[in-house]
Amino acid sequence: MTLLDAIPTLSTLASGGAEHFAYHVAEAGPKWMALVPGLPLLGAVICLAMLLFKRDMGGRSRVPAYLVTALLGISFVVTLIGFLQWNHGQPWVVHAFEWINVAWGSGAGQSLQANASFYMDGLSWLWMLFVTGLGAAICLYASEYMANDKGYARFFSAFALFVVSMSCLVMGDNLVMLYLGWEGVGLCSYLLIGYFYTKPSAVAAAKKAFIVNRIGDLGLALGLYLTFTTFGTVQYDELFAMVSAGVDGSGHSLAGTWQATWIPLLLMIGAFGKSAQFPLYVWLPDAMEGPTPVSALIHAATMVTAGVYLIARMYPLFLMDEALTALHVVAYVGTFTAFLAATIGMAQFDIKRIMAYSTLSQLGYMFAGLGVLTTNGAAYHVFTHAFFKATLFLACGAVMHGFAGQLDLRKLSGLWNMKGWRIVSVAMLVGCLNLSGIPVITAGFWSKDMIIAEAFTTPNQVIAGSSLIGWVLLITAGMTAYYTFRVFFRVFVGPVEFEPGDEAHGHGDDDDHGHGGDDHGHAGHDAHGHGDGHFHPHAPGWAINFVLAALAIGSTVAILPNFMGDHGWVGGLLHDSTAFYQSGFGHHEAPAGEHALANSKMEVVPVAAHSAPAHGAPSHDSAPDAHAAGEVHANSFLGMNAHAVMYYVSTLFGLAGLAFAAYLHGPVGAWSFGIGNRTKAAVSRADGWKRAIGPIGRWAEHKWYVDEFYDLILRTPLRVIAHIFHAFDKLIIDGALVDGAGLLPRLLGRTLRPMQSGVLHGYATGMAAGIGIIVLIVLVMTLS
Amino acid sequence: MMSLLAAMSAGPDVPPMIAKLSIIVPEIVMFVGTCVVLMLGLSKTSTIRRASVGAAGLALIIAGIAAATGPQGVADSLLPHVMPYAKVLIAAVGFILLLLLTGTVDREVEAEADAGKPFDVLRANRAEFYAFFMFSLTGLMLCASADDLIWLFLALELTSLPTYVMVSISTARSRSQEAGVKYFFLGAFSAAMLLMGFTFIYGATGYTQLFGYHSIASVIGAQGSLGPIATLGFVMAIVGLCFKIAAVPMHFYTPDVYQGAAAGVSAMLAFVPKTAGFLGLMLLTSAVGWGLGGGYGLPSELRLLLWVVAALTMTFGNVLALMQRSVKRILAYSSIAHSGYMLVGIIAGPGAWGAGAPGNGLGAVLFYLMSYGVMNVGAFAVVASLEKQSGGEAEDVDDLRGLCKTHPLLGWIMVISSVTMLGLPFAIGFLGKFYLFTAGLRAGEVALIVVMGLNSAIAAFYYLRLAGAPLLEHRDEHEASLVVTAFNSRKLAGLISAVGVLALLPFADRLATLSDHAASYGASSEAAQASASQAEHVDARSVTDH
Repeated sequence: MTLLDAIPTLSTLASGGAEHFAYHVAEAGPKWMALVPGLPLLGAVICLAMLLFKRDMGGRSRVPAYLVTALLGISFVVTLIGFLQWNHGQPWVVHAFEWINVAWGSGAGQSLQANASFYMDGLSWLWMLFVTGLGAAICLYASEYMANDKGYARFFSAFALFVVSMSCLVMGDNLVMLYLGWEGVGLCSYLLIGYFYTKPSAVAAAKKAFIVNRIGDLGLALGLYLTFTTFGTVQYDELFAMVSAGVDGSGHSLAGTWQATWIPLLLMIGAFGKSAQFPLYVWLPDAMEGPTPVSALIHAATMVTAGVYLIARMYPLFLMDEALTALHVVAYVGTFTAFLAATIGMAQFDIKRIMAYSTLSQLGYMFAGLGVLTTNGAAYHVFTHAFFKATLFLACGAVMHGFAGQLDLRKLSGLWNMKGWRIVSVAMLVGCLNLSGIPVITAGFWSKDMIIAEAFTTPNQVIAGSSLIGWVLLITAGMTAYYTFRVFFRVFVGPVEFEPGDEAHGHGDDDDHGHGGDDHGHAGHDAHGHGDGHFHPHAPGWAINFVLAALAIGSTVAILPNFMGDHGWVGGLLHDSTAFYQSGFGHHEAPAGEHALANSKMEVVPVAAHSAPAHGAPSHDSAPDAHAAGEVHANSFLGMNAHAVMYYVSTLFGLAGLAFAAYLHGPVGAWSFGIGNRTKAAVSRADGWKRAIGPIGRWAEHKWYVDEFYDLILRTPLRVIAHIFHAFDKLIIDGALVDGAGLLPRLLGRTLRPMQSGVLHGYATGMAAGIGIIVLIVLVMTLS
Repeated sequence: MMSLLAAMSAGPDVPPMIAKLSIIVPEIVMFVGTCVVLMLGLSKTSTIRRASVGAAGLALIIAGIAAATGPQGVADSLLPHVMPYAKVLIAAVGFILLLLLTGTVDREVEAEADAGKPFDVLRANRAEFYAFFMFSLTGLMLCASADDLIWLFLALELTSLPTYVMVSISTARSRSQEAGVKYFFLGAFSAAMLLMGFTFIYGATGYTQLFGYHSIASVIGAQGSLGPIATLGFVMAIVGLCFKIAAVPMHFYTPDVYQGAAAGVSAMLAFVPKTAGFLGLMLLTSAVGWGLGGGYGLPSELRLLLWVVAALTMTFGNVLALMQRSVKRILAYSSIAHSGYMLVGIIAGPGAWGAGAPGNGLGAVLFYLMSYGVMNVGAFAVVASLEKQSGGEAEDVDDLRGLCKTHPLLGWIMVISSVTMLGLPFAIGFLGKFYLFTAGLRAGEVALIVVMGLNSAIAAFYYLRLAGAPLLEHRDEHEASLVVTAFNSRKLAGLISAVGVLALLPFADRLATLSDHAASYGASSEAAQASASQAEHVDARSVTDH
């Protein structure tokens, strides 16, 4: 703590146009905050114990589901109470127990302290509120969805453990806790993707997710280690105090050091792995092999946003680097991922996979937002996305649940008009509107817009090519609207048609089980069997409907935070967190009405003040000439204030995508504004278009062959090397070395063995001879 | 301190005999116990006869306590602190061995007696068997107390002679008698060598006393070198001791005798004569001192002798063990190999005068004796506990297959003791080897350490076979199943060994410190000073009256 005392008062922070994270001294929070991870942990342990001691009635017991749901619910309430009691501005540090405390010297950086403590600032609160809230809701959904699956208790045990790990990740007050949670969520993700462990594709997907994540985790681990060696601490309060003072652990300036560049780059790699950014995104679509509630919670709403959290949490470290190298990469990779995933999503037929690619795409938006210096936009998009993507996934899950695993949008149609599917359809519509960014009435519109507008506003001198990023994101927004409503128009409206899938799992009614197996035998041929004689779609029950309705409402209510306070509710939270960064290139959080004013707020700032957030660093004046010489103006959108016009521009793109979807896939009638002409589930106007664009559509459907490319350049060489090593091992190591080494003692033994004749005088002769030789040698030595 | 030493060695007011007696209280207890065992074992009443084992155990416990609470150091001694450590160790391992030896002899006689026939004292061996066991351990304790060549010789022979008889009577088979006879003749041969060596030493120095103002050590110290005669004497004495520790070139008897004797007696042979031999070696090399070889080494002739013997012993033991199918022969050869390892500690010596705990070769030897004593019993206990349906011990490696499934307790004991003897990390055997390695490296014996490392690798072949057969392999269906002995105390001995191997681990650090303290070298002035206060305290309490 002596280090902290040495750091000058932090009020000498940024003046000029850009506001930066201001270090707040933490205050002690109430101990009961430890219940937030503690209660789910209890649930996980109890479920596991039930499993181990065979008290789960062979998977029929509903206790695990309701227990974990209740505990997660209480956990959410505790989070909420804590949040309401929290005094905005000062982070809480809640000390649970001492965990790691070692010292190998008395100097700086010669001790490592990582307690089981929680650091609650605006960023942690935001994440924890939706992690526990959505966790409880989705758990309730799963209680119905997972019924009749073997290993019910196993599912909820891993589910609860996931929430524990996510809480550690988000709430931990040091990087070791973050890493613990990071690996914990990775483990739970692996366990839950591979939940149907008898299914080879699920096992392969689980392995893929785990292995691809290891690559990212390596970056994270190195980043954390470099952080520790640079700052000599892993505790947030000490770390950020140093960063805001612009010094490292031994008091030297950070400006221009290689660590300032590499710490963010390494952390960024970790974030890319967990948040499935290019090139480490390939695991996420496959992760849809897991049960749908898992896809909704882990692979859409919470875990995959851990990368966003990491960068937002470590934002001061990302700003250490004057050239903002890492943030450039984050912006480009995010934008590219958003675009790439959208192109793939447009060509898929599996609705859950489309949602997976849309998740990738939206995560790309969040990263792009972080890259163009709007942590607020990124965090708000995480928040809105969590709701509407969970809604979408759970709606898809309900479809999958009800139609025996059917997810092909060519084989389902008109759910809106089917009995018992109205709530699902409405929820799906709300989710689709949000994802498409339909203006004003959807939260997704406001959050996505914040990112795009900021991309156009951020000067090209700060983030090179930010305008291009803006354009790509705009185009992607149009594509998003297209593929989103492609799903809606195909599956939920239009003529009622369905063809059941081939999965026995998830059937609610007993009579489905009896002939579920023979159904798909002829279902394949009888492609258009209206209400197939044998198969009865299984409409969702109260739990699924209730959760869907709640989430649909939640997605809409998530608009409101945008209008709370100067920068929105999320902006207010971020203001009180380490992620706070206000570029000063124009206020973008203002609600629509204030946009006219935004122009006047545009400010001209010296770039040095912007790009050297580490104030007090001596390098201030020696900033690169190109930057220091000029003054940087906020960028504009075609000469107009991006913040003012972006609402209309993005609306235009969104509606264009929607109209395009309606034209290609919309059914006859009012749903598609009269421009659609689809009358069958499997056939639409898009088929002709697809033939027209030739191989491009096919390539997109095959995900641009990225998996095959990875297979070729990574897995094949590795396999070849493995075979070579195997042969080497067999021939040289096992053959020549081991067997050869074994041969020598054996030969020696065979030579010596006759001496052990068992004959007494033979032994006596041997002993006498031995003594004779020894005495002779020693005497010769002595006398010579 | 020096005046105290002078007073002790020449003190007119304390008769030397009385001073000696106070340090051999454990031996006296053992002797009394032996006599009681001998008489009880001959009783006509079955219950009293059976009580002889209990009496032996009781005597061991009392002797152990007496050693632990008795004098902790003796001033005029080469290894002033070795006694309590060695004697407690001997009593403890002796107790486990006693458990293992139950039921070895007299099973037919007892069965007949139980059936109502009159007890035939002349045919019964029980009294002799346990009494000889106790005699042997008494001799072993006396080895630790020895300060004189004659005492040492007598103690060594007291240790050895009873074992010749025990081997012969341990089973009714002729193989045992053959083994006993071989053992006796070769033992007598080696004793002759030993005695001849002692004679030369006496001839060269004029003393039989090992340490003191007028002693072998003082003469050698004054001369600054060993003369040819003394060298010859030490060489022959060491070679004679090689028989006790089963080292090349005196190792030939080991596999035949171990195989011929009952498993319990083999276990005893692996520990008792070996410990006696190493105590003798420690005393003899200490009398020469590690100051004559330049730096901190033995004179070059002795060093070379021990070096070659160590290297050959571990290599012979290990490569020949590879060729065996009999568990007892494997263990016999492994016992040879372990002696080779321990010789490294003797060569390394106690290190620089007053060196601290790490790298004390003698301490490493004592630690290794302790760990070997504990882990060795387990493997023999498994063999002792299994019998074939056709009679006789199940001693083939193949008999052990699938033992973890069929007889989990015995199987796991076998696995744990073999893995420990192999020296797999984080078992007590690993630490023993580790201390020997450290001591050898500290003494600069790099080549010997390389030989030792290679040998440890070779040893893995047969130890892993011993561990793998019960754990990984399966017993063929058609094979006759094994019968587990009715003597639960044998299984208990194995259990104590296996649990001890693991349970001692947390205390390994403490035990290593104890071993090093026990091995502190009396000729080192600093070591003597370091132990002065303790020695004075002890002396005042028990050795002297002033």
